[in-house]
Amino acid sequence: MSLVLTAEEQSLRDSVRRFVAERSPLSAIRELIAAGEPYDPGVWKQLAGQLGLASLIIPEEYGGAGAGHSAMSVALTELGAGLVPSPLLASAVLAAGALLHLDDEAARDELLPGIAGGELIATLAITGGPRGLGEPGASGGHVTATGTGDAVTLTGGLAPVLIGAQADVLLVPAAGAETVAIYLVDGAADGLSRDPLTTVDHTRAAARIRLDQVPARKLAGDAGRALAAAADLANLALAAEQNGAMAACLAMTSEYAKLRVAFGQPIGAFQGVKHRLADMETAWELSHAAVREAATVADQHPDRFSAAASVARVLTSVPYFTAAADTIQLHGGIGYTWEHDAHLFYKNALSGKVLLGGPGDQLDRLATTLGI
Amino acid sequence: MSRQETEEFRARAREWLAANAPRRSDGDDAEDTGDRAGVAAQKAFQARLYDAGFVGITWPKEYGGQGLTGAEQTAFGEEARHYALPVGVFFIGIGMPGPTILECGSEEQKKRYLPPMLRGEEIWCQLFSEPGAGSDVASLQATAVRDGDTWILNGQKVWTSGAQFSDYGAVLARTDPTQPKHHGISMFIVDMHAPGVTVRPLRVATGSAPFNEVYFDNVRLAPDALIGEENKGWDAAVVMLRNERVNIGTMVASQHNPLGFDSLRDLAGQLGRLEDDGNRRRLAELYARQRGVALFARLLRDEVMTGQMPGARGSVAKLAAAELGAFAAATAADVLGDELAGFQAGGSEHHEAELSAVATAIVAVPGMAIAGGTNEIQRNIIGERVLGLSKDPGVDRNTPFNQLRVGTQKRGTS
Repeated sequence: MSLVLTAEEQSLRDSVRRFVAERSPLSAIRELIAAGEPYDPGVWKQLAGQLGLASLIIPEEYGGAGAGHSAMSVALTELGAGLVPSPLLASAVLAAGALLHLDDEAARDELLPGIAGGELIATLAITGGPRGLGEPGASGGHVTATGTGDAVTLTGGLAPVLIGAQADVLLVPAAGAETVAIYLVDGAADGLSRDPLTTVDHTRAAARIRLDQVPARKLAGDAGRALAAAADLANLALAAEQNGAMAACLAMTSEYAKLRVAFGQPIGAFQGVKHRLADMETAWELSHAAVREAATVADQHPDRFSAAASVARVLTSVPYFTAAADTIQLHGGIGYTWEHDAHLFYKNALSGKVLLGGPGDQLDRLATTLGI
Repeated sequence: MSRQETEEFRARAREWLAANAPRRSDGDDAEDTGDRAGVAAQKAFQARLYDAGFVGITWPKEYGGQGLTGAEQTAFGEEARHYALPVGVFFIGIGMPGPTILECGSEEQKKRYLPPMLRGEEIWCQLFSEPGAGSDVASLQATAVRDGDTWILNGQKVWTSGAQFSDYGAVLARTDPTQPKHHGISMFIVDMHAPGVTVRPLRVATGSAPFNEVYFDNVRLAPDALIGEENKGWDAAVVMLRNERVNIGTMVASQHNPLGFDSLRDLAGQLGRLEDDGNRRRLAELYARQRGVALFARLLRDEVMTGQMPGARGSVAKLAAAELGAFAAATAADVLGDELAGFQAGGSEHHEAELSAVATAIVAVPGMAIAGGTNEIQRNIIGERVLGLSKDPGVDRNTPFNQLRVGTQKRGTS
């Protein structure tokens, strides 16, 4: 098992990279932000349909490509480098991953082909730290289920839910009389309200969902197992995206340090600048190796995936935030302007650091996985 | 080499190691280079290892190597990880002067020196650093002055591992002080048994003496001693330093590291320190960082298998390993608390012996950030050679050496 990208993965990386440069450059993302749009539906259609990225982890029997988590992480790394807003993480990683770890064949047949093609956008309504994702008492609120069979309804609220205002269907963990289960809720159901939140990261749309006796369908399977799997998949996906974004910060700042002259020489010649960039490169290399490990064990050694995904997240989220902050600092005044892209990365790093379990939560979860 | 041939090689290595090599036990120290009595045993083992075909795996056959590829080298390394091979005294020679002679030496030098180096008949050391020339090693002051067809070597070297056991050394000396500092240096082979060579142990902060100081007092070099061209020794030195960083940064960690996650977790458990969430988080972060450094070393090895050489990214591995050591030392102090300040070193309880090992390891940590190039020098290399940033201005770069102020020498005293 090598950590180096396979030839297929390199080719996937190159095509996603080309796509991002041509169809979703940061200038286009700025237009979306100005228009208050969460993502570009045309870009999403091409990402999902033409490039097939939404189908990567979904098995062929459900209309997916069955390419695996390693391929998905390669795609997410490139999308992360371009800060491309899309429902990919919420729908094709978290919701699809939860469905694959539940045991509801009818729901899989019904939902996964649409998710794989990108026509159906799903989200998994999880918030808070991974110790209590979806559990009563987790931060972000909770939902309770009452009734049985066709008469079950959900009541409660959760925030922030990724792509919550745009999703066609929501998978909502809720506490019933005895246990927590995951329920399928139609985005157009009566009693469901979804308020888009003001997000610090303009490229990551989220909503507060409120449920008032919303009709729902209980999905068969072990919700605890599915939520734990989703937490691991979230760690790998966020680490992959952020590793790409860190590479973008590193490239942008190195380039500037070669061009910008002060005190008679390019600022990269000064150790105050050079050494911070060397630290950024070192942090990126460790993160990259850890993401590659987590991605390959996800496909080949699922028993080792949870610890590997935590390691990847721990070695990425905080270092990326540092890298984004250093990107502003090393650019100086220009890096702090609205026109410069550095703040887009800084905000993305901030939300990526705290989403679905912040640094402390991640270390708690890893400690538990390691048996300490 | 086909994959199948590599796997046959691996199987042969596994079989030989199982039959001939001592397995690693918990108490082994990977840094152990043996005492004088141990050297004879190491030479005997190295000869058997060589005769079995597991030394100089990638080196050309005509110089005593096996003429195989990086795939076989990696396969052997993976198999050997489970064994404590008693070959520490050869690590420097085969890792640094050896490849440099292979790349820069004359045909006669390769034929004369490489086979006995590989077979362990002759031990080598590397003599670069001086009291006044560490990070800025190109400001070295040892001199080699021509005398007929030989040179006379004078000066002092420091931080020389294994000098007390060595038969030969690769030494840098200034051969033309009228040229700028990088241009007047040459690299020589010096006979460590020659008259005028004095080796003294150098005691470090831990109290042990893993290095030496070496004094050269009118040592006459052999006519064939020059490696590469006269006054072009810096180029050969860059080759050797690159080999050193890759060696250090990707060294397979010994299985028992007192500052490793497993060891600190066990010790914290015995001392009842795992109830605390802060301690659990610190240890989990140590695990993550340790994995990161190990995975990056593996990635570099995996890249070599696909034909991509690490180059200056060896400096990333070395810097990351040194920073991991500093983090582990801080974690140990946080988690173990005041037990670390005083303990019964010879105590019968397991945790007492372990606390002593942890304390010694913490004292050794600052050395990791200096030996083989300081963290600051690694950051310069990463910035300049990996990221392509401008070089340090180097205000002394073009000045003749004999007009420079170097080391801690006072103006006008040289």
